[in-house]
Amino acid sequence: MSDADGRSARGRAGPRPPLAAYPLGWRVLDALEAAAELWPRRWGGAVKWLMLLPALALVGLLLWGLGVMADASLRAMDFRTYRLAEEWSAANFAKAWGSAAFWATARRSLVAAVAVTAICLALALPYAYAMTRTRRPGLRRLLLIGLFLPFFIGQVVRAYGWLILLGQQGMVNQALGAAGLGPYRLLFEYPTVIFGLVQYMLPFAALMLAPALAAVPEEVERAAASCGASWPRTLWHVVIPMARPGLIAAALVVSTLTLTDFAMPAIMGGGGSDFLANLVYDQFFRTSDAGLGSAITLILTFLGTTVAAVLLTMAGIAAQGGRGRR
Amino acid sequence: MPAAAHPAAADIPAVEARGLARRYGDAQALRAASFTVAKGRFLTVLGPSGSGKSTLLRLIAGFERADAGDLRLFGRPVEAVPPHRRSVGMVFQRLALFPHMTAADNVAFPLRMRRWDARDIPARVERFLALVRLEGLGRRRPDELSGGQQQRVAIARALVFEPQLLLLDEPLASLDAKLREEMQLEFRRIQRELGVTTINVTHDQREALVMSDQVIVMEGGRILQDAAPETLWREPAHPFVAGFLGVGTFLEGVAADGPALDVAGRRLPGRTTAGAPAPRPGHPAQGALRAERVTLGPAGTLPPGSDAAVEAVVEDAIFEGDRILYELRLPGLGGARLRAIDADPGARARHAPGDRVAAGWARGDFLLFDASDRTGRLP
Repeated sequence: MSDADGRSARGRAGPRPPLAAYPLGWRVLDALEAAAELWPRRWGGAVKWLMLLPALALVGLLLWGLGVMADASLRAMDFRTYRLAEEWSAANFAKAWGSAAFWATARRSLVAAVAVTAICLALALPYAYAMTRTRRPGLRRLLLIGLFLPFFIGQVVRAYGWLILLGQQGMVNQALGAAGLGPYRLLFEYPTVIFGLVQYMLPFAALMLAPALAAVPEEVERAAASCGASWPRTLWHVVIPMARPGLIAAALVVSTLTLTDFAMPAIMGGGGSDFLANLVYDQFFRTSDAGLGSAITLILTFLGTTVAAVLLTMAGIAAQGGRGRR
Repeated sequence: MPAAAHPAAADIPAVEARGLARRYGDAQALRAASFTVAKGRFLTVLGPSGSGKSTLLRLIAGFERADAGDLRLFGRPVEAVPPHRRSVGMVFQRLALFPHMTAADNVAFPLRMRRWDARDIPARVERFLALVRLEGLGRRRPDELSGGQQQRVAIARALVFEPQLLLLDEPLASLDAKLREEMQLEFRRIQRELGVTTINVTHDQREALVMSDQVIVMEGGRILQDAAPETLWREPAHPFVAGFLGVGTFLEGVAADGPALDVAGRRLPGRTTAGAPAPRPGHPAQGALRAERVTLGPAGTLPPGSDAAVEAVVEDAIFEGDRILYELRLPGLGGARLRAIDADPGARARHAPGDRVAAGWARGDFLLFDASDRTGRLP
């Protein structure tokens, strides 16, 4: 390691105090430093690449899988033999392009991605703002618990919970019945899926927004007030632009997770509100058409990448370094 | 300011506070603060951190509400007026510029928020950028400007909408000494040019003296003195005020007639200050002496211009370029310590550590304070 000289110089500076005077964590670091001395200094430059190796391996695996998918997507399924064709063709893409069901599903996924993102940002912003600004530690703790608790409850469990609550004999319809209303068909509708997705994504959005809002100094908000800006104007002209990296990051996470979601449409949509991921599942595991499944997977990947690219362009690369358009 | 044109409005003070108090949990940040600031004046609130000076400023800006008391700005009660509806410009401690806007947009922001005619805004922004000497830098973002330039943007932003009142929350504290002195004069120039009533908060006594028409000294949430800078310097009404304004030596003793201070059997003549309660003979008292008012002479003599002298031993002589600071021990006064400054070292004999000298002062420079109530005394 390059700072080995400085370290050993410090080590020579005086008699060593008793080891027990230092906490365990320091001694563990001492041991690691001693172990690092064994590494030949000439190879020091390789260390940073070694650290990247696990991540690079995972990304490589992903790209390899995409390559396999791309290959399969170009081979039409022969339903007499249930084998993919030997020669490449665009038949799978043509099939998807010509299918009304595909277009309906793709539109449903995209509309959900946009709607869930918009609703989540609108709801998460005040929540995260209250959490970062409150002076009452009790309230802050409560909001933090409210933020993290949903992460302990899986998506499928929550979807089933909604089935129980929203069914024909569910608690919501019972309450409505007591008031002389309903029963209504609340489940297996597109808006129900959107609702479930919003409920699922909201903590993600709030979690991404909180640090961005905490980074806006309160003094700046006061400055805006002293400039004559009411609170809504301060929010619009100062807080939101300054928290933009966080808003973009939250939008990125929520929109791509929604676009590619599988469980919510499968459970709360009841088969009538499928997203593209459900369509891919059907191709692979119901009709066993790996070619068409791969083609739809690639289209979904392309859509997700496009959404991410649009959002990052909107950020003006602001999310990367905090320095936006110049 | 336009308000001054109205003859009947002329004697309404810009700021009138009566018994303002504010508490945070157990801490009483502000206790019954009462003062007035006349229109067009430059007031500095001087005090150490935690003295309540920033709380006072936040109450005037409207960021916080007082628990008790009455605050009027230009004759109007402002208790119910939110900050964005008060005509108050403010320069913040950490400047609080909007980082996502250019300097010109920062300056234009108050005009846009206050719905000025959009056609007038560019010219006005230019004028104020010129006022703070930032011509041509309007298109830069705050992070592309130097510390002093950011300071100037913050000043322009606080003044551009012609506020009736300008508040400065220690905006100079983070600058280096040279830039700070430059900006002090700059604030003074702009304030005189625009005639805007200004309240500045600082813990820097030099800044308070240089910039202000009126100074309020605060400590522990209380106002100790409210006076012009010269009065504050010559007639501190409280030993804390004297200490905060650079008095280096406090001698402990018992008050005597004359007035004088008895220390270890020596009777040292002094004077009381206007505004401070006179020490009662026979009660504990302290005498305050500025280092630069102490004259040193050969041991056993009365140094020129002195009314009293004590025997002193030089413990340290610190050469500071234009002056020499002497740390002295007073064996005749029970080992008390005294600081003396020789501001003209070339003209007088130098003393070395260990030398025995006579330390003298004029009676008018030895300020006597009652010490039977020890609160607020500097150690």
